[in-house]
Amino acid sequence: MRAPGDGHGIMAGDVLLAVDGVSLSFGGVKAITDVSFDIRKGEIRAIIGPNGAGKTSMLNVINGFYHPQKGRITFKGEMRRRMRPYEAASQGIARTFQNVALFKGMSTIDNIMAGRTLKMHENFFWQCLRHGPAMREEVEHRRFVEEIIDFLEIQAIRKTPVGKLPYGLQKRVELGRALAMEPELLLLDEPMAGMNLEEKEDMSRFIVDVNNQYGTTIALIEHDIGVVMDLSDRVVVLEYGRKIADGSPAEVSSDQAVIDAYLGVPH
Amino acid sequence: MFYREAGQFKTSYAADMAVFPIRQDRIGLAVILMIAFVGIPLFGNQFFLSSVMIPFLVFSLAAIGLNILTGYTGLISLGTAAFMGVGAYACYKLTTFFPDVNLIVWILASGFVSALVGVLFGLPSLRIKGFYLAVATLAAQFFLQWSFVRVPWLYNYNTSGAIEVPEHDLFGIPITGPNALPETRYLVLLTIVTVLTWFASNLIHGRIGRAWMAVRDMDIAAELMGIKLLDTKLLAFAVSSFYAGVAGACMVFLWYGSAEPEVFTINQSFLILFMVIIGGLGSLLGSFLGAALIYMLPIALRVLPASLGVPIAAATVEHLQFIIVGALIIFFLIVEPHGLARLWQTGKQKLRMWPFPY
Repeated sequence: MRAPGDGHGIMAGDVLLAVDGVSLSFGGVKAITDVSFDIRKGEIRAIIGPNGAGKTSMLNVINGFYHPQKGRITFKGEMRRRMRPYEAASQGIARTFQNVALFKGMSTIDNIMAGRTLKMHENFFWQCLRHGPAMREEVEHRRFVEEIIDFLEIQAIRKTPVGKLPYGLQKRVELGRALAMEPELLLLDEPMAGMNLEEKEDMSRFIVDVNNQYGTTIALIEHDIGVVMDLSDRVVVLEYGRKIADGSPAEVSSDQAVIDAYLGVPH
Repeated sequence: MFYREAGQFKTSYAADMAVFPIRQDRIGLAVILMIAFVGIPLFGNQFFLSSVMIPFLVFSLAAIGLNILTGYTGLISLGTAAFMGVGAYACYKLTTFFPDVNLIVWILASGFVSALVGVLFGLPSLRIKGFYLAVATLAAQFFLQWSFVRVPWLYNYNTSGAIEVPEHDLFGIPITGPNALPETRYLVLLTIVTVLTWFASNLIHGRIGRAWMAVRDMDIAAELMGIKLLDTKLLAFAVSSFYAGVAGACMVFLWYGSAEPEVFTINQSFLILFMVIIGGLGSLLGSFLGAALIYMLPIALRVLPASLGVPIAAATVEHLQFIIVGALIIFFLIVEPHGLARLWQTGKQKLRMWPFPY
């Protein structure tokens, strides 16, 4: 696998994605209020906060599933008010979901191959014949998918329908499906929710490896503070849809507003 | 024991990605095709060919069409018969305009007409799902059926309101009309069904099929991965209606020889939906098995008492048919809700393990 994002002129450390004054509400419910932060190329950026703080909504805004009422999002230097999911995906934003959102009736290979859809272009005619260019394309992408399968150590479950897999492996396949898109920005929504210690350790290792080997920028929502402190370069903290802190893990963990948000305020 | 892939090693991804990666399956398919193309036309009698095999193939083709839409893309449709009708009437009009062009061309062309109509009625599918979409496709069913009766242009202003199929040749051999032998009609139909099944299987195993199944299993995730929902769903509608249209054209031209609008009613749509559900949603094999069960079982029930010499009145047979078919449907839905195709898979697994339990 080559490092994604080469040749776009954005170097490690530059701002890859900037969220500027974003507000999102559903009717009278304000999910996000005037939040600004940025994600730099090559970093692991954690988004934390208590339940209902607007973390998942933030991810949904970033990949175009929700359209914020106010604010701007700049990705790779291009500002846009509204981003459609298709555009986000084709520009290199991939994500995993809080509740596993795999294609349950399909095998592990087919799930990850589905992540390659945007990279496959052979036309309907050749697809009907499944010979010549269409088959060459299939094989070429299968090779890429096999590399991901090796990387995530899921060789044994290649052909198992994902609906039959245990939860931890499903999370791993979902990560594989996102990686198949060769994303520049990978959004992980609670990748370790409901996992035991070993599974968390495995998943942490994969996240760090993805970041190191492929230089993929990662935005991570996670409730396990230990994991967040160990993995992330910078942390943004949301509470009730507002940003209350932003900085290195050490700065954030000693921030009084964050401590208050998590532990409560003495009365 | 009997069905074991041990020792069959794949040395390339292409071999591993074949539709039938196991040698026994390939041999089985070859045997079935040999029987279908050589054995049945040689040894089948007139009744078996024209009243069993030809209808079975027509329904299989329609069931494949509906399976692409409902089984693979997860969009329920109750308009299959109407799309078959579109194919039939389109083919009829095209052959009256250009009678000298090869009929096969027009059968396929009428599939495209049906695909176009299918896309039109598929447009609401972006916004509505499940039962609500099923109701929206009912609109297609009723509107199109109404057109077949009320637009006389479609049946060339016949006083009877029915369409009659004139004689057509393929390489000098009549394939439609009263002079066409059942063997030739059967072989023409079998060729069409075989080729279209192969196309469907190829589509399903490639990028397009994965996009369809992704939309079926988790449309939000599919959308965020860059699969365009509307395009994917409309393509499914187009391909599905194409298959239904070709099936409809074949039904009138190669089976009935003439047709009235009553052929393409909602009952027919439900019949095909039952074939898909009982055969197995999301399985091409299931489309054939479902068509076989729903269509051939009544025939078997009708023929069996007569051949055993049991004296039963025709009306009683008819009633018995309804009871038994209904009971079987309920039985299958309880015992194997994933259809006959899953039953076949389980059977293969058992054969692989035999004589050991696991």
